[in-house]
Amino acid sequence: MAAATKKTSKKKKDVDHPFTDKQLLEVYHYLQKTRLMDEQMRKLFRKARFAGTFFSAVGQEATTVCPAYLLEKDDFIGPSHREIGACITKGITLKEITTQIYARGNSVDKGKSHPCHYGRKDINVINPASTVASQTVLATGAAMAYKIRGDKHVAIGFFGEGGTSRGGWHESLNFAGVHKLPAIYVCQNNFWAESVPASLQAGVKKFADRAKAYGFPGVTIDGNDVVTVLKTTKEAIDRARAGEGPTLIEMLTYRWYGHSEIDPADYRTQDECDLWRKKDPIPRFEKYLMDEKILSRERKEGIISEIETEIKEAIDFAEESPYADPEEALTDVYGENYG
Amino acid sequence: MKQTTYIQAITDALDEEMARDESVFLIGQDIGLYGGVFKATKGLQDKYGKMRVIDSPISEVYIAGGSIGASLVGMRAVPEIQFADFITPAMDQIIQQAQKVRYRTGGEWWAPVTFRVCCGGDVGGGIYHSQINEAWFVNSPGLVVVMPSTAYDAKGLLKSAIRSNDPVIYFEHKRLYRSVKEELPEEEFLVPIGKADIKREGKDATIISYGYMLHQSLKAANTLSEEGVEVEVLDLRTLLPYDKEAVLESVKKTSRAVIVHESNKTGGVGAEISAFISEKIFEYLDAPITRVCGLDVPGVPFAPPMEHYYLPNPDRIVDAVRELMSY
Repeated sequence: MAAATKKTSKKKKDVDHPFTDKQLLEVYHYLQKTRLMDEQMRKLFRKARFAGTFFSAVGQEATTVCPAYLLEKDDFIGPSHREIGACITKGITLKEITTQIYARGNSVDKGKSHPCHYGRKDINVINPASTVASQTVLATGAAMAYKIRGDKHVAIGFFGEGGTSRGGWHESLNFAGVHKLPAIYVCQNNFWAESVPASLQAGVKKFADRAKAYGFPGVTIDGNDVVTVLKTTKEAIDRARAGEGPTLIEMLTYRWYGHSEIDPADYRTQDECDLWRKKDPIPRFEKYLMDEKILSRERKEGIISEIETEIKEAIDFAEESPYADPEEALTDVYGENYG
Repeated sequence: MKQTTYIQAITDALDEEMARDESVFLIGQDIGLYGGVFKATKGLQDKYGKMRVIDSPISEVYIAGGSIGASLVGMRAVPEIQFADFITPAMDQIIQQAQKVRYRTGGEWWAPVTFRVCCGGDVGGGIYHSQINEAWFVNSPGLVVVMPSTAYDAKGLLKSAIRSNDPVIYFEHKRLYRSVKEELPEEEFLVPIGKADIKREGKDATIISYGYMLHQSLKAANTLSEEGVEVEVLDLRTLLPYDKEAVLESVKKTSRAVIVHESNKTGGVGAEISAFISEKIFEYLDAPITRVCGLDVPGVPFAPPMEHYYLPNPDRIVDAVRELMSY
């Protein structure tokens, strides 16, 4: 990583990073919001309050919240279905999330897509398609547009280690390498692509090594260490904005629950799950914040209580919202009238 | 009088739209330095630079998907798919993203991408360089599918496609690139998407066709005229969403319909048009609706006698109309 980061915070004893206390607290807020919202949605699905399924990201929050936190409004993100944290952090409201999950008429997509396909145009979050790593191709295309226009924006593609096996993923990283596009590729290696272990996904041990084939840096980091994720992603974003090209960041993490709520995840051992629960990113970060006197017990309680109120309001809002008229199914096919 | 070929009309349309709107850019294999394998983009990289006429790696998924991604943030992309046969990897992005993005986001996002797809047989291209797979896309609502048959339509439709806020699959027939030419207006013109065009008026039967087969249909109509049968030849031009009114109006007038296309018959555009006519105006028909199409085989075969056996020709079209007239 070439770009040097500027040190703006002095009191850190053993962790060197450029972030202010205020920024760290904001990140903490988004992590908690993502976690609490996610757990609520799981409960509601099991109570059959909405159809389809829900893709929980519990355990992986740092890998999506931190990169999204570092972006500007006009920067683009191409999320996958497990990027609720990135979406919330980039600016999608909890009401937009609940109405999307509940498929109500007032959701952004009017109920046409699927739960967990959050997005919004004014903040450049493209609602995902279900085809894995597909949004990585779109994010690369957005980065290409920024390069053509000379804009200083960047684009992040989010995907799991399983997504790195797809052709479009390789074609995109290859193109990004050729043109030094302002793109950041965030690989959440949670060791399982639904039920297929990472060992059956690739011949390389480190998925970050795939970047070598495309001529740009790839790094593997602890995806459950918030400060490391923030630092590494910031360096990659700075590099991209400076015209130095893309970075592939492999973030080691773990999803606590199944691929979706209808997956019992019985392909994994309890020991493995227990091990990763001990590496939960949120208490780790919380301990750091408290040790550094950035966060107090009272402040934490205040943050959680505020989030819980917002979640409750968002759920009530979705449950009180009607579905769209079925004939709404006929709209949004074309933008022009060819009659 | 300056005659403009079909391929020059395409180049001119690209040039005019790139000059008019700086969000328009091109991407594809061999389109820059080389000017395209058929030279459709000749001179454009020199004029607009390497980042607006991008020589891409051999990556159809990215050519399509990167174009779509760029279009989501304000660009108007015109990717070239060098041969329609090679569009299969790009289908992933065309179907999952371009076709669905407006719908799946409730109209929030859209992908103004014009996929220029070079297609068609009767050029000795063999099984991987001759296909027209328009039916795959016509079966995909949300996409616009067009196929011009003349230089005028090639230019006007391409300009309309680039300006449209919908994803357009623009099939250009390589057999027509240099064999078809005409004098074009000096002033700017557009051809509307969704409008068919009567290329020859007649009262006894309607041939509905498009692309290269439109010309074979016109030849057949000339032969039939000598026999006293006046055939109306309707050029669909837009295959999705197609001009239903024009189809009904013509067939109501003639009471007989033949659909002619180069791609294979089963599940093709002709099946749709035929079903539509019989659903709407069955009582107007004096004879069954007939199709003259390519063979139901996996591709256009290479050996010249076999390729000609595959392709519809004026004789087969004439025979089909004669049969209807004597029904």
